[in-house]
Amino acid sequence: MFFPDNYEFYCPVKINSGNKALEHLPVELDALNAVKPLILTDRVVVKKGLIRRITSAFKDSGITMDIFDGIPQAPDLKLVRRLMNIYRDTGCDSIIAVGGGAVVDTAKALDIVVSGKPEDLRDVAGNDLIKNPLGPLVFVPTASGTGFETSGFAALGGMVFSSRFLMPDLVVIDPRMITSEKADAVVATSMIALAHCAEAYTCPAKNPMIDTYAYPAMQFIGENLVNVIKSGDRKGRLALANAATMAGIVFSGTSRGIIHELGWTVDDISGHSHGICMGILLPYALEYNINSEGYHMSDMLLPIAGPEIYAGTAKNLRARKAINFIYDMQHDIHDISKGGIPLTLKDAGISKDALQGIAGAAVGDGHTGFNMDDCMVILEHAWEGKPIISF
Amino acid sequence: MGDFKEVTAGNKPFKKAYVAIMLWFVGRAIQAAARVDKDVKKEFEKLPEDFTFCLGVLPKGPYMIVGKNEKGRVKYLGWKPGGKRIDLDMKIKGIEAAILMFTFQESTTVATARDRMIVDGEVPYACAIVRVLDIGEVYLLPKFIARLAVKRYPVWSFSRKYIGRVRIYFRSILGY
Amino acid sequence: MYLPEYYEFCCRVKIIAGHDALEKIPEALEQLHAGRPLIITDKGVSAAGLANIVTEAIKDGVTIGAITDDVPQDSSLKIVNQLAGMYRDNDCDSIIAVGGGSVMDTAKGVNIVVSENADDLMKFSGAGALKKALKPLVVIPTTSGTGSEVTLVAVVKDHERHLKMAFVSYFLLPNVAILDSRMTLTLPPVITAATAMDAMAHAVEAYTGLAKNPMSDANAIAAISLISDNLLKVIKNPSDREGRLALANGATLAGAAFSNSMVGVVHTLGHATGSVCGVPHGVCMSILLPYGLEYNMHKNAHFTGELLLPLAGVEVYAGTPKHLRAEGTVAYIRKMNRDIHDATDGGHARFFEEVRDRDGRRMVPREKLEDIARAALDDGSIFYNPEECDYEDFLMIIKAAWEGAPLDRELIKKG
Repeated sequence: MFFPDNYEFYCPVKINSGNKALEHLPVELDALNAVKPLILTDRVVVKKGLIRRITSAFKDSGITMDIFDGIPQAPDLKLVRRLMNIYRDTGCDSIIAVGGGAVVDTAKALDIVVSGKPEDLRDVAGNDLIKNPLGPLVFVPTASGTGFETSGFAALGGMVFSSRFLMPDLVVIDPRMITSEKADAVVATSMIALAHCAEAYTCPAKNPMIDTYAYPAMQFIGENLVNVIKSGDRKGRLALANAATMAGIVFSGTSRGIIHELGWTVDDISGHSHGICMGILLPYALEYNINSEGYHMSDMLLPIAGPEIYAGTAKNLRARKAINFIYDMQHDIHDISKGGIPLTLKDAGISKDALQGIAGAAVGDGHTGFNMDDCMVILEHAWEGKPIISF
Repeated sequence: MGDFKEVTAGNKPFKKAYVAIMLWFVGRAIQAAARVDKDVKKEFEKLPEDFTFCLGVLPKGPYMIVGKNEKGRVKYLGWKPGGKRIDLDMKIKGIEAAILMFTFQESTTVATARDRMIVDGEVPYACAIVRVLDIGEVYLLPKFIARLAVKRYPVWSFSRKYIGRVRIYFRSILGY
Repeated sequence: MYLPEYYEFCCRVKIIAGHDALEKIPEALEQLHAGRPLIITDKGVSAAGLANIVTEAIKDGVTIGAITDDVPQDSSLKIVNQLAGMYRDNDCDSIIAVGGGSVMDTAKGVNIVVSENADDLMKFSGAGALKKALKPLVVIPTTSGTGSEVTLVAVVKDHERHLKMAFVSYFLLPNVAILDSRMTLTLPPVITAATAMDAMAHAVEAYTGLAKNPMSDANAIAAISLISDNLLKVIKNPSDREGRLALANGATLAGAAFSNSMVGVVHTLGHATGSVCGVPHGVCMSILLPYGLEYNMHKNAHFTGELLLPLAGVEVYAGTPKHLRAEGTVAYIRKMNRDIHDATDGGHARFFEEVRDRDGRRMVPREKLEDIARAALDDGSIFYNPEECDYEDFLMIIKAAWEGAPLDRELIKKG
């Protein structure tokens, strides 16, 4: 098993997953020395009746909680300021974010301001500028999210924050909160998760601690994604929520790879979500590095396809088989969704002329370390849906 | 602005009452078993003279306390832990976790494995009490439920199992 | 991947690993807003020159507040209070613990006293009594085995009041664990083997036990693979830095697995054998591990069989039919023990009859086996074991492990 000469790894996140996980919240808050949570969520979550499950989980605990359920799609500084006032006026000492995406971004930004001075927010936008642990933050996922909830990233009002202190202290995955969702949302979340993990697991800078989060996440996705899309399988959805949680942690443990750089830009110009775009790019980007020095492509077959397939495949074919496994998965999903989930950038509504611009944005000022030619090979093949190396 | 409200958590009186009754019964059954069953008797003999243990639900109960009195007899000591010195404190993390246990969806073993209990006190005491609880479950529950509650359903003589069961039921209800 | 109905997993320790990981301590302390550590270690560690390596590596980056190697074999309240005084007298702001289990227990105890300003440590014993973060604690393990660098437990004995205080809290997790190959480079092969098999037992029992979960499983698989790949290599070539670092990583991964998923009958009997006969813990683990797997096999053959892959590698795994993999795992561990026995010229015992103390005397007399089985009844690790275990069961296992004969699985009472 590979391990590097030097590495560092840190994950403050505790994971509680499964039956009646919500009901452990009072004990968990107590362990975080908190007694009055501010619950943040949005209207969609409320409409599904999910907030009632949270308040019901606190029954008999004697806890008083505050609930703010108006987090919009695009939260801004003004909202954070208002929430800060609520938090302080009502004497809250912890935050519970229920839902995904904007709710969690807001919760993280709020955690920064209530743990320091409100004007700090602009000062700490950027990389590793938060120097102290923040107040208790709990995340309760509901179905799909952006894939960055458990990471140390947050984006709000045009600012991006990155710090290990932004990772939630606790993630509570309760099957009652993981409601069924449209196929493309499930695929988007899982594909981002898979991209986080596949890049971390195969890149030269991998380490055994990150692998322990990437490994089960990839195996959960490989085993369950197609099934969940096909039949809505309840246990499978719980497994995918576990995978998304682990993958966010993986993302904060490694540097960003080429899939992420390209994915951000593609997402801006296609009508599809970030996760769907990343999913399209994923196998091509992996394939591009299949024989690159220092990469561990063949190792990926074990988590993604399971021990039987891994053991039954000759060593020199494992990398190929792992990437084909992802291709196959995507074709299955494409078929089940009756073509609704695109397989190529072309189908995702990207014109061929736009590729150059996407590659340019990913290369940027050069700090990403990727060059134009690499990006174009990946993009062109992903546009057409043609594997880079044919066997 | 309708997007903000403050909520005080309600209660689950029926579930709490159910768990309280079950705990009361378990407490009295242990007291009875300590008189009737030789293995339970032996377990308690090995424990210190004024040993007490508490099984309860976080954060505010219900509880049950069982202990040995000055004559070394095992007694159910009620449902109020306040003021008592507790040698072994077993707390279930919440009322729903307690319901899972007392409706036999989760055995003590499974609940422990799933992090639903917090145990405070000397480990040998905990081992002894878990064995006592297991024996208690075999006495009190029909086989098809008890089999799920204990790791290995014991092979007992007819008289131990059936006569013992009747005696323990009677004593639990009558409280002697 | 097995997903249990419910699980919890947490490993909030920053891991810094490498051949020059020690040099990163000043930066790690700075991130924790500290720079004046109290270094706690024991005589064995300082005699081996390890404390020196640590101070050399960090002295330019931090001001060492004080350094002590007064930790006894068994952590005691007296020494905890004494070191807390030292911490205060020297205006320290953090603790670095260099050593094994008792050094870490002592450091954790000191940390509670100085962080909570506690005059009576007893107030903080038990589960969940600590409510806030303690002073920064950096731990540097000097064996690759116990995994205590990632555990949330500390045990301190009060010899005057004859009390054993146990502390359990996430706040007792060290902030940083440093895995540096220099710390284990001089560990003798026999001890290397015993400690690595201790870690192996953590991983295997966590994976096959009742509280297994996907995160612990992934940690366990990685640990088993690293230990299995490297242990024999390191025993044959003790100065193999890569191998040493791999074993250190393996021990930490195994520690993360078992501190979340607990252990089973191997540890139950191992603790008992240790307390009755004084056999080192790692030796007990390596001898008992195959027996524990055999004992539980009717309940978890599936999981035991899966371990053949990280243990023996993909060729052996693929070449073994599915229904024989659990037996394959047991056989492989027995073979590891035999190979280590040969590579250490018999220094590594394969069964208890073979265990000798420094003067060559047998450590486990046959007539002590009943005492061991009785002592095992008082050990809590059995809660997490798949099969029930009473006195007769313990006796059957320990007898077989004494003789070195495989367990007769026909005789196991199956629940």
